[in-house]
Amino acid sequence: MAHSGKKTILLVLRHCPYGSSLAKASVDIALATAAFNQAIDLLFLGDGVLQLMPDQDSRALGMKNVGRQLASLPLYDINHVYVDAEAVTRYSVDLSKAPVATRALDQEQLHRLMVGYDHLLGL
Amino acid sequence: MILHTLNASPSSAAFDDCVGVVRSGDAVVLMGDGVYAALAGTKAWSEMQARGAQVYLLGCDATAAGVTEFAGGATFIDMDGFVALTERYPRQQAWY
Amino acid sequence: MIYSLLVLSSPVSGQGSRTAAEFARSVLARGHSIRRVFFLDAGTLASSGISVFAQDETDPVHLWVALAEQHAVELVICISSALKYGMLDQAEANRHERPGPTINPVFAVAGLGQLVDACAHSDRLITFGG
Repeated sequence: MAHSGKKTILLVLRHCPYGSSLAKASVDIALATAAFNQAIDLLFLGDGVLQLMPDQDSRALGMKNVGRQLASLPLYDINHVYVDAEAVTRYSVDLSKAPVATRALDQEQLHRLMVGYDHLLGL
Repeated sequence: MILHTLNASPSSAAFDDCVGVVRSGDAVVLMGDGVYAALAGTKAWSEMQARGAQVYLLGCDATAAGVTEFAGGATFIDMDGFVALTERYPRQQAWY
Repeated sequence: MIYSLLVLSSPVSGQGSRTAAEFARSVLARGHSIRRVFFLDAGTLASSGISVFAQDETDPVHLWVALAEQHAVELVICISSALKYGMLDQAEANRHERPGPTINPVFAVAGLGQLVDACAHSDRLITFGG
């Protein structure tokens, strides 16, 4: 990139890991953004929290393991990962076993989080 | 302040997720199948209104859907109006 | 202001791709500039040089092509999505030994770096999905 433009980005992830191509695309976006030294944080919201299920094994589908890809995020300095507390409760996702460390937020906190970014990418 | 665009019907997860996050001071543009959230007298419209945000209907999509006569109180905008909203709101969240 | 668009909506299903193209046109009409339109996932189908739309319906591909031809709007399709959808420029068609090209030449095929660049240098990043 020619100029050192910097904007803060929140990737808002709302889809299940394997039923659509968006989960994989969003991990690719996160990694590409980090590779270019731009700040990016992640928010898993609604069905998106299911990307954090432990023990994903996609081998029989011949698809990339979304959980394992998420586990690599800290290696790229992506350390701010937030999650929709209500959806986590609704789906009984055990965050202590999730592939990446997260901070759970209620809906008020979610809004406060989102207004703190220059750009929101909804996938 | 967030500009929300909703492009899915009121029975979708996108509608529920959107309504959960919208707060007063935000704006919502209903487009595509999202226009049905503006139907007066429906639970969807009550839920949307209750968030306290300004709600807009993308005119061409509302007209296509036949929603114009039944819209509960959302403001009709054309594409120029949609762009004008994005000038005022620094960030947009797409719900679909 | 400088705008960039992220388009995930398929031109074949729903109004999203058409709405995004009309939005882009209005952005320019209001005096703003567009750094880039980045197409991802099913959005890459907007680049098709081989799709045939009914004569009595709007051709969404044509709306995008017109923006490029009339206003020099930069249209980029994400390479990994494009390949899966069969949207190949000549280089990719040769590389993967497929018939091609299948895309309209006003579209460029590139990686996610172009999306990152768009985010970094735009005042507004507008996403169209569904």
